[in-house]
Amino acid sequence: MNAQSRIGGMLAVTVAAIVVLAASVRAHHSFAMYDLKITKVFTGVVTRVDPSVNHLQIYFAPMNAERKNVERNEAGQPIVWSVEMEGSAQMAKLGVSVNSFPPGTVFSVGLHPLRNGQTAGSREGGMFRCPDKTPPAPGMHCDSVQGHTAVGNAPLPKPTE
Amino acid sequence: MKNGAWRVAVLTAASLFVSSFLIAPARAQRVTDPGFKSVGRGAPLLVDLNDREMTGATIRPPTAGGKPDDPSGFIGSARNGQSPPGIQPLEVDLFTSKDFYKDRKLWSDRRYFRCNSPAAIEDLWGGNRTNLIGDNPPGSAAWGHCDRDYPREAIVSPYGFKTAQAHYEALLEETRRRGGPTQHTYATVPGEWTGRYMRPSGTPGNQYWFRMRHVQVPTILSLLTEEYQTRMVQEAYHHGHTNKAMWPSQFCWPEGFMRRWHEAAVREHQIMVTPSLVQIMAGVAQNFITDIHIGRQFNLEGAVPRLGPDVPRWYGETIGFWDRDTLITWTSNIQGWKTHAAFEHSNKMQTIEIYTPNRDGSGKFLGLNHEAIFYDPEALVEPVRIVRNLVKMSGFEEGDPYVFIECLQTIYAVDGTATPVSPGQVIQYEVPDMLGRPWADIWEKYWEKGMEKPEEKDIFSFK
Repeated sequence: MNAQSRIGGMLAVTVAAIVVLAASVRAHHSFAMYDLKITKVFTGVVTRVDPSVNHLQIYFAPMNAERKNVERNEAGQPIVWSVEMEGSAQMAKLGVSVNSFPPGTVFSVGLHPLRNGQTAGSREGGMFRCPDKTPPAPGMHCDSVQGHTAVGNAPLPKPTE
Repeated sequence: MKNGAWRVAVLTAASLFVSSFLIAPARAQRVTDPGFKSVGRGAPLLVDLNDREMTGATIRPPTAGGKPDDPSGFIGSARNGQSPPGIQPLEVDLFTSKDFYKDRKLWSDRRYFRCNSPAAIEDLWGGNRTNLIGDNPPGSAAWGHCDRDYPREAIVSPYGFKTAQAHYEALLEETRRRGGPTQHTYATVPGEWTGRYMRPSGTPGNQYWFRMRHVQVPTILSLLTEEYQTRMVQEAYHHGHTNKAMWPSQFCWPEGFMRRWHEAAVREHQIMVTPSLVQIMAGVAQNFITDIHIGRQFNLEGAVPRLGPDVPRWYGETIGFWDRDTLITWTSNIQGWKTHAAFEHSNKMQTIEIYTPNRDGSGKFLGLNHEAIFYDPEALVEPVRIVRNLVKMSGFEEGDPYVFIECLQTIYAVDGTATPVSPGQVIQYEVPDMLGRPWADIWEKYWEKGMEKPEEKDIFSFK
């Protein structure tokens, strides 16, 4: 084997390895469960951050329109949604972690909800954290609150409904 | 007895006999003398637990949890509703109370727990396959020995450091003054460490307090902050009173960092040593993989020191350095969790661990003395220390290979009770809050109705 074909072989192996690795990162589950035609935007209160290696999840209770409390079910319990995003290490680099989003944190996020109507979604667009104990004005989101923290450079998406 | 069974029995006996000689220099639970007065390692233990008797009440089975040093027969002072001679029982105790939260003032009285050790309480209903709850449970629960205990002074750290960071930096500075840290190469790294080590709790003469069989519950509670005292008593109540054990590994939940020191969570250890990484593996229901990164430094920005991203890890991240053939490590960035029959730890838990060779008179390597100091300002009112020995059995050229464990769940919480279920069986399943206290969520939903729990902080209301 000459040097050129050896380099070509190594390149092929490298590309194959990258493809396999990329696939393993992306193939944890299918995102086809989410309805990409629908975008919802929430401002909610964090109940838990699950720093999963594959997809970090934030569990949160959407706030009511007055931004004084959270939406509740008939039993008076908070309705909890989850939003999944990139892996915990990647999200930590963007400033989203168990430590930076403790329970009680108010934040705003856009998501594509599940097709089956359950309360979970896949993050879309930018994300904003309100300052501690400072929810936005009625009907507004954290990007409107002075002192907010942006996660990434994108704005909140426009809701479709 | 069939020939095969005889052969196993004889081989086991021979193995124990041989190992009792091999570990003779490390038999007592002592800390290996570093050969100089150190600022933060090698301080002698005040009391050797191997000289103490179990508190009880328990019957140690010959298998399934019984250990070579365990006595046989009933260990305790009274059973089946009787009370020990000379002891005035409390009007209300763990086994008669309808609301343990209201009994806080009694928690410091060992009679509240009928002088049972934390591990004995989980034995009472048969947690480890022997039953001492009596004919009219839970009120007929047995009593341990009220005059037995392991002193608090022997549990707390003998060093004056407030934080793991201060401890580590002092040991590093001390090592620098001694000409270190030693920069090992593949030619000089202590390769004799590489190999397989005996199960710590199955090693003769290797008793240590975290086994929780030689201590009174109030002694352990005195080490904990108020919130973590409540959590420990909550578990004791559901072990001893309601019989609703929620051991994480029964659900294939994570074991948690502190379980590495638990008698049942780890068996043989496998250690591999390279100049840049030392790896320790062990496990039963889950894998414990401790990667010690030699010569690296923690990122000190953020909630706790860490090596990688700002993500708590179930078993933390570890750095270390060598002082000749002694390895000194610092672990941080640990996910908070629980150890059943012991106490919960928080995300602030950090350890300093010192691995020092045990050698016989001729200098032959026998294994490692493992001294660990635990810092957790959220759970512990002061740092504590565990000392144990890891006795080397062989290199990797013999013995069974390490089995990487994939825990597949067969037991589920059905209506608040741990229940084995079969394939095809349909159950109602409530998704646990795994980053909270899922065991407590089950207890509080099903088994604490009517109790006056401390109020939880309302995170949903804003003025």
